[in-house]
Amino acid sequence: MRGLVRVELTRLRWRRAVLLLLLACLVVPVLIAAATLWDTRPVSEAEKAEIRASSTQEIARCERKPRQYGVRPARAETRCAELVVEWQTARRDLSLARERTGSGVGVAGVLVVLLMLTATTFAGHDWNSGSISNQLLFRPRRGRLWAAKAIAVTGVALVAAAVVSTAYWLTMWATMRARDLPMLDGALTDSLAQGLRGAGLAAVAALGCYALTMLLRSTVATLGVVLAFGFASLFLVEALPVSGRWEPLDNAAAVLRNGTEYYVDVPPSCYDGRYRDRPAEGSTCDETRELPGWQGASYYGAGVLLVGAASVLSFRRRDVP
Amino acid sequence: MPDLAIQTQGLRKEFRTRRGTRVAVSDLDLAVPAGGVHGFLGPNGSGKTTTIRMLLGLARPTRGTMRLLGEPVPDRLPAVIDRVGAVVESPKFSPNLTGRQNLLLLSRSIGVPDTRVDAAVETVGLTGRDRDRYKAYSLGMKQRLAIAATLLKEPDLLILDEPTNGLDPAGIREIRETIRGLGAAGVTVLLSSHILAEVQQVCTSATIVGHGRLLASGTVEDLLGGSTAHRLVVPDLPAALAALSAAGVPATEQDGALRVETDDPAAVTRLLAARDLWLTELTPVRADLESFFLQLTAADREDAA
Repeated sequence: MRGLVRVELTRLRWRRAVLLLLLACLVVPVLIAAATLWDTRPVSEAEKAEIRASSTQEIARCERKPRQYGVRPARAETRCAELVVEWQTARRDLSLARERTGSGVGVAGVLVVLLMLTATTFAGHDWNSGSISNQLLFRPRRGRLWAAKAIAVTGVALVAAAVVSTAYWLTMWATMRARDLPMLDGALTDSLAQGLRGAGLAAVAALGCYALTMLLRSTVATLGVVLAFGFASLFLVEALPVSGRWEPLDNAAAVLRNGTEYYVDVPPSCYDGRYRDRPAEGSTCDETRELPGWQGASYYGAGVLLVGAASVLSFRRRDVP
Repeated sequence: MPDLAIQTQGLRKEFRTRRGTRVAVSDLDLAVPAGGVHGFLGPNGSGKTTTIRMLLGLARPTRGTMRLLGEPVPDRLPAVIDRVGAVVESPKFSPNLTGRQNLLLLSRSIGVPDTRVDAAVETVGLTGRDRDRYKAYSLGMKQRLAIAATLLKEPDLLILDEPTNGLDPAGIREIRETIRGLGAAGVTVLLSSHILAEVQQVCTSATIVGHGRLLASGTVEDLLGGSTAHRLVVPDLPAALAALSAAGVPATEQDGALRVETDDPAAVTRLLAARDLWLTELTPVRADLESFFLQLTAADREDAA
């Protein structure tokens, strides 16, 4: 089995499309990191001087009527220039906590999508070229071949996503330290944990996509089914009286953040003014419900298990072209 | 090694289509003796490839039993697959990998050393082109690569489905020589082909199938044996025909000569000479596999119709 997995890893390594997708797993997060760091860069003295020079009329107006700007007349000479500069450089500071709900989610999403594409490209190519039958002429134990490919795809996806996520959060952390920004205790650990949960989600998504491709024997069909599932589930959850607990994105968020909240419809009587304060948690009128991380993991785990079982059974029983 | 390298009994394969069930192989009893080159003949759609695919575990039989090198398959296929090399239909490799990379992936999957790839590449004459991408290969080169893949295992049994497809005449001759050589070296070769002359030249025995059924099987000599036809030319054909008919020797006029069925041509010569009919030509009509095959498959088509 170990030998077969090694062969599948070599096959992955030799596929150009797979390498390009793995490269994209590195490049896109680097671009996201660069954009995040640029958006949160400290304002330099040169920038301040440039803004001051281009805003002389605004600063003069503030100095003439400081109270309209909320500035005490005694401090107008120094404060007005500071205030105008602050307005025009309203740039947030880098924060691990904020990035965990912002760019960090983006990185995880990008990794999930790219690694799903990697898995379906890898498996689909075997069917498209017909080389799967050649492989079976050398290794006829179909279950083992399926498993070796699954281990290779999932392992590569997990390692790639974990390395990229960890590098992303360490970059953010190092930059905050370099910029001398305040950091909450455990912020780095929480961010790294979120990154690893995202890597796990990406690996499971890759496994699911691989299993679906082995079942449908086509990359295009797999992508069609995944897209259809995504759209259909969003619309069905909206259109039918189905709990938001089944929405794919909420479940992904629950895994990533180790728990999230989703919205539920409440009876109209909740809006008749009886409740002046926020309704008690979990009560009939509470519009939000907890969606724990384990439930999100079960949602995707069960899906992948079902597709995986169907895929293995089909691969073991159906004729191979 | 068992007496039979390949054996099937009551082998049947049905495909479900929109129009109903199509029978590709119908109760086929195949017996390929160990050693030598065995031809597997049949017109297109006669079930040859389906039979090979079932033997190799790529397709499931609807019913029937199969044995490869004495082992029941597909149950024991993993136990014998390392001794069986096969090319099924057109070669199937990853187009973006080089020929060498494709072979390396296969050789490493069965744990044979990479040096065997070099040997196989050399045997099929691909040295120097093995580092080109597979998609840049001609059809003939693809066939050679497929045969190289079968040699990675150093097999006891080779199953080749139309292995000379797309090869140039020199390539065809090389492959035939390779097949003959393998047969002489003790490897059993099952050669599925529609090129009848190829089978007649290379094979020691053959099986002919039509519409998924066995039509004939045996050594090539046996299949062609029993032919007593002779071509006979005399100046007075009607007189000779009358004399032979009167003597009870079957004869027909054909292309300005007589076709005579006899196992004693000397007696025919004496008979005609006694009636002052002097032969200018007496030639045995050589039976060939093509005539035999066409005769068999034509009869099968009539039966099926």
